[in-house]
Amino acid sequence: MSKFDIHNLTKKQRRQMHSWLRAAIQLLYFLFLPSAYTAAFAGVKYIFTQLGAGEKIGLTSFVSVLIVLCLYTIVFGRFFCGFACAFGSFGDAVHALYVWVCKKIRKKPVKLPEKVTEKMTMLKYIVLAVIAILCFKGVYSQTQGYSPWDVFSMLHAFNFKLGGYVLGVVLLVLIMIGMALQERFFCRFLCPMGAVFSWLPMLPFFTLRREREQCIKGCSACTKQCPSDIGLPEAGSLDVSGDCFQCQKCIDTCPRANIHCGLPGIKGNEVIFTIIRALILFGLFIWLGI
Amino acid sequence: MKTFWVRAVNLLVIAALLIGYNAVLTLRDKDDQIAKLTAELESANLYKQAVLQSQDAAASGGAYTDGIWKGTAQGFGGDIQVEVTVEGGSITDISIVSAEKEDGAYLSMAEDIIPKIIDAQSAEVDTISGATFSSTGIRNAVTQALEEAAE
Repeated sequence: MSKFDIHNLTKKQRRQMHSWLRAAIQLLYFLFLPSAYTAAFAGVKYIFTQLGAGEKIGLTSFVSVLIVLCLYTIVFGRFFCGFACAFGSFGDAVHALYVWVCKKIRKKPVKLPEKVTEKMTMLKYIVLAVIAILCFKGVYSQTQGYSPWDVFSMLHAFNFKLGGYVLGVVLLVLIMIGMALQERFFCRFLCPMGAVFSWLPMLPFFTLRREREQCIKGCSACTKQCPSDIGLPEAGSLDVSGDCFQCQKCIDTCPRANIHCGLPGIKGNEVIFTIIRALILFGLFIWLGI
Repeated sequence: MKTFWVRAVNLLVIAALLIGYNAVLTLRDKDDQIAKLTAELESANLYKQAVLQSQDAAASGGAYTDGIWKGTAQGFGGDIQVEVTVEGGSITDISIVSAEKEDGAYLSMAEDIIPKIIDAQSAEVDTISGATFSSTGIRNAVTQALEEAAE
């Protein structure tokens, strides 16, 4: 079985192995723990509703999911977004399907121009602000049926009574078209929970960096591969981009294998660290009783 | 690293504001409670009120037949089954027998509707916002159980 000798894999085999691992983790979270995203965001909505009504903010199950997810993100970055969020995984699947179909019919996949995407990242803050204001005013409950997330989670639970959800269904379809054209369309541009996460003070220990002086001149393979078009910070820098989903795709793309986590124990073992992070998150969810 | 500290300070300020907000409300609640209790004590009608209340309770009690009644209704992902205990004509306990397809976080949020139903002695209460599906399911299941109990 020399083919599966983990230390002598070709670059392509390694990349394939990593994408299978990513897909497996995403699939497991999608099937068994799909509601963490809506529960955490329900926590945000609950806080604004209570503030608007002048009521006390209790430590409800939604709020505790929100707090735990925020703490996890502060320590490990937006790993939850990249691997565990059901809606993010759904978007990855839609995008992968679109790219696969394009390949089959020998057409170049349509992509949104970078100038447009850069501006659209701001949309998620507007989405968050609008929802927060609606909750604060106490009128959010009247918008039932508009939310594409409700429609998505109903479909996920095999609940097909979508009678009052026309606008929600239309929005979901539009978002799916966006998801096909642009990787992580929803997460980057529209996700209100992502807006909250991207404002968190993320610790710089576990994020990826590149050794810039070893880069091929003019190469931007990692930025092109990145679903958020991030130019990675240099090794030794303590900056963290709020839009990095920790998807780890840049590691395998780099022609010089220049991209690593700065921490000595993890450098070179990023794959194992990915599994560890997934397990820690899984443990937290079990503890929370999601 | 500068952004990190700016964000960390922002987060701490937000957390402190929310905790402060809660503390103020707790204090206010306590003040209100004290005021309410004093008012009740001072009221000469205290005894009368108690009598009236108990008469009320007796009148509204007896609406349901004693026993343990079961009801089922559609929740978020599937059926929710509840058991309503009626003692002395009034609802004393509601327990969820099964809610397999419901989601943990949502179900525990939706369970807040149970004390509301027991307080009101009726299933005609507002649902829990944020957990509308699950709490509506619990409410409808209780309604079904109470229909049986009323017969």
